[in-house]
Amino acid sequence: MADREPVIGIDLGTTNSVVATVQGGTPTVIRGRSGSNLLPSVVALAKSGKLLVGQIAKRQAITNPTDTVYASKRLLGRKFSAGQTQDAMKVLPYQVVSGEHDDIKVKLGPTDYSLPEVSAMVLKELKLDAEAFFGKPVKKAVITVPAYFNDGQRQATKDAGRIAGLDVLRIINEPTAAALAYGFGKAVNGKIAVFDLGGGTFDVSVLEVGTGVFDVIGTGGDTYLGGEDFDNRIIEWLVFDFVKEHGIDLRKDRMALQRLKDGAEKAKIELSGSKETQLNLPFISTPVGGGSALHLQKTLTREKLEELCGDLGARCVTICEQVLSDARVKVGDLKEMILVGGMTRMPKIQELVKAYFRRDPCKGVHPDEVVALGAAVQADALTTEDSEVVLLDVTPQSLGVAIAGGYVRRLIPRNTTVPTSVTEVFTTSKDLQSTVKIMVLQGESEVAHQNELLGEFILTGLRQSKRGDIEVDVTFEINSEGIVSVAARDKETGQQQSIQVTASGGLTESELKTILEDQADMMLEARTGEELGKRKAELSALAKEVQELIPQLQKATSGSEFGQDAVAKANKALEVAKRTVDAANLGKVNESIDTLTKTITLFKGVLQRIS
Amino acid sequence: MAEENIDIDPDRQREIEALEAKMGTTNHYDFLGVPAGASTDEIRTAFHAMSKKFHPDRFFGKNIGTFKGRLDKVFKRIVEANQTLTDPERLKAYLEAHPFVRAAIRANASSTVAEVAAKTADEASRDAERRARLARHPYLAKSGKVQEMMARARAHIAKGEYSHAFTQVNLAAQFDATNLEVKTMLVDVRKKNEEMRSADDFKRGKEALDRGEDDLAIAAFKSASNNNPKNAEAAYKAAVLLDRKHNDPKEASTYAQKAVEAVPTNAEYRILLGRLLESAGMKALAKKHYEEALRLDPEHPDVKKYAKRRWPF
Repeated sequence: MADREPVIGIDLGTTNSVVATVQGGTPTVIRGRSGSNLLPSVVALAKSGKLLVGQIAKRQAITNPTDTVYASKRLLGRKFSAGQTQDAMKVLPYQVVSGEHDDIKVKLGPTDYSLPEVSAMVLKELKLDAEAFFGKPVKKAVITVPAYFNDGQRQATKDAGRIAGLDVLRIINEPTAAALAYGFGKAVNGKIAVFDLGGGTFDVSVLEVGTGVFDVIGTGGDTYLGGEDFDNRIIEWLVFDFVKEHGIDLRKDRMALQRLKDGAEKAKIELSGSKETQLNLPFISTPVGGGSALHLQKTLTREKLEELCGDLGARCVTICEQVLSDARVKVGDLKEMILVGGMTRMPKIQELVKAYFRRDPCKGVHPDEVVALGAAVQADALTTEDSEVVLLDVTPQSLGVAIAGGYVRRLIPRNTTVPTSVTEVFTTSKDLQSTVKIMVLQGESEVAHQNELLGEFILTGLRQSKRGDIEVDVTFEINSEGIVSVAARDKETGQQQSIQVTASGGLTESELKTILEDQADMMLEARTGEELGKRKAELSALAKEVQELIPQLQKATSGSEFGQDAVAKANKALEVAKRTVDAANLGKVNESIDTLTKTITLFKGVLQRIS
Repeated sequence: MAEENIDIDPDRQREIEALEAKMGTTNHYDFLGVPAGASTDEIRTAFHAMSKKFHPDRFFGKNIGTFKGRLDKVFKRIVEANQTLTDPERLKAYLEAHPFVRAAIRANASSTVAEVAAKTADEASRDAERRARLARHPYLAKSGKVQEMMARARAHIAKGEYSHAFTQVNLAAQFDATNLEVKTMLVDVRKKNEEMRSADDFKRGKEALDRGEDDLAIAAFKSASNNNPKNAEAAYKAAVLLDRKHNDPKEASTYAQKAVEAVPTNAEYRILLGRLLESAGMKALAKKHYEEALRLDPEHPDVKKYAKRRWPF
């Protein structure tokens, strides 16, 4: 036993990171060399040119705002041009630049670092802590990510581990890890919920636990909902009043922004314990035309904070509802509920959770450490002969292929236990089509370009025939490591093409849309009648609605040129719709649905304005 | 069957192979080993038990040769079965596509094989008359023959002659592979037959043991255990003999494990398994079983002995 290679579990958090291991059958947090269990996920370049990580980096943040990187996890695995990145950049004091492939880099002094490199610095620090603890090299680790991270973000986390010199055994979901830590070595039987509101992300998972089996039955979340958002609400409130009074937007000044951030976070934490707190930021700015320095001094009450962040809490509850209904679990069926993440210390959040789940959260789980402990449990389970623990994890987001008309056909729905594989038959969507393009998408939107493109490939050499004649088998597979592979096979010739999805292609939504439009000739068609039937029914209902609206519109616009034009267009759309209902082409039906939906919105808008 | 020299014990290898062979032919309920129409709870329990055995993570980082792909395949089917049967919508679609499964659920719900056998003599004679009439119809000749076999099988069952009953039902199944009644009966009779054979083997084993023919006894006890995994005493005796005779802790521990699995609350079984595991080098596991034995029966003399011993852990 003693000579077993040490394995660790790492919670790579937005604000803090933790490393743990299982020692003598007990999960334990490894205390850092600085004496603390938590390592701030902060990296900085000191004026001396030295790279700083953790507490020491956090401490100098105020005096060195532009060269201090925090909350980098919110950018990890994302694209520079994504809307969320652009939003995040507005409130970040450090410099974020675009890499060659629309990836994100951060500037530390003269050097641009990729996000995995930044995370790797934090991981390396934890690795060193663990090595100091064991007194020997540590390589093997399980790292956690928010359940709602997509494939690209997971890959980026894995890359970070590799850069830090770790052999990443597995990437597991944070709420799952929390459940593992909670249920490890206990005779727990039943369904439990994990509510994880951390620094940057919100996750909720429902698990069924029994005799060492941890079966995730539902998971959901939001990768842009966490403590940082609560801080930002406070910052906005502070800045807004300051602008009104002095006409200065403090966010434009990086030094001021860093101080605001610091103050907001402290105020938020204090308000978990007290009813009101003072925000005192002297010499925060100087007036434009010169004059004496300006100070910021304000009182923030718990009530005000709750008012500022009311919608954030409500969003959490909505997601909980969705996850429970997806998992077909009623609140009353839950045996236990676990709170994870620093933000769950906020009284308002506790109140919301208690009201929704109708029970007190589980005591005796440390919200900051439980995730790392769970990661350690999984690392131990994977490397121990005849381990007591089996984790049945799920894929958090749906996977599918793009089909004609710019839609998605889902092959693996979210919350499917992995490993899994699904094969479905598709057909060509155009006459004489000899090539099909398989575009692998991840996400919940019905519209292809609103999903994440994981990869794409082409199957050529199909016999030229009428559309719908040629059948192609498409197989999606997720193995136990969570790696997605997709294969397409021409049923006639047996010819086959496949890819292993590795990293996201780095496309923006609009780029993806353009590609989908340009390559419409190469799209697949879903062969399943059920989808077509559903869509046709939808189309018929819409057509009926338009038909009913036409006389109303005619009356309202009383023969004006605009009215006549609109009615003529609507009639034409109806005709097209009628023809498509008779034809069996999903793409065309979807197009028609689009046109009619637009017509209805237009009509309703006009009617509303006139009456 | 050729066993690969890999880090999966031979029994588990065989189980995986058996499941792989079953993949194309059985429905989701059968694959999970639950009766058709089983409740969500039953399905979940079976799913979890199978996950514990066959989840690829159980063999993480081990040399498992060709079993890597096979295990993945088998486990994916287990997942598919679980997800289909526990999701009302998917179950509906599945049953629509597989009317036989639906029929099996109905059969399970209304009349079990036992109930059929327990029909009153009056009803049985009327049934027989009707069947005879039907059997004369040329289209139904096949079905008539099948019914004849089934009637014979029932007669055997009534007399407790399960091996004869099994022969008849098996034959009937070959005639008419789609007959649901035959299929359900086959499952039941096979199980019963195996249990009976297990009991016979066990008796044979004991007799051989009395005569001092240890090798014969080992074979008999092993067969008894394999025929009926619930026969803990057979597994235990096989393990004891294997250990004593061949000094083969690995095979012995396989049977000791079976005994423990069949009756987890028996301290004696645990002690044996613990000792065998210890000599096979699996100390942590051994310790677990010793501790469990200690908990189950603190007064057991052997347990006391182990408790006193300073474990080399």
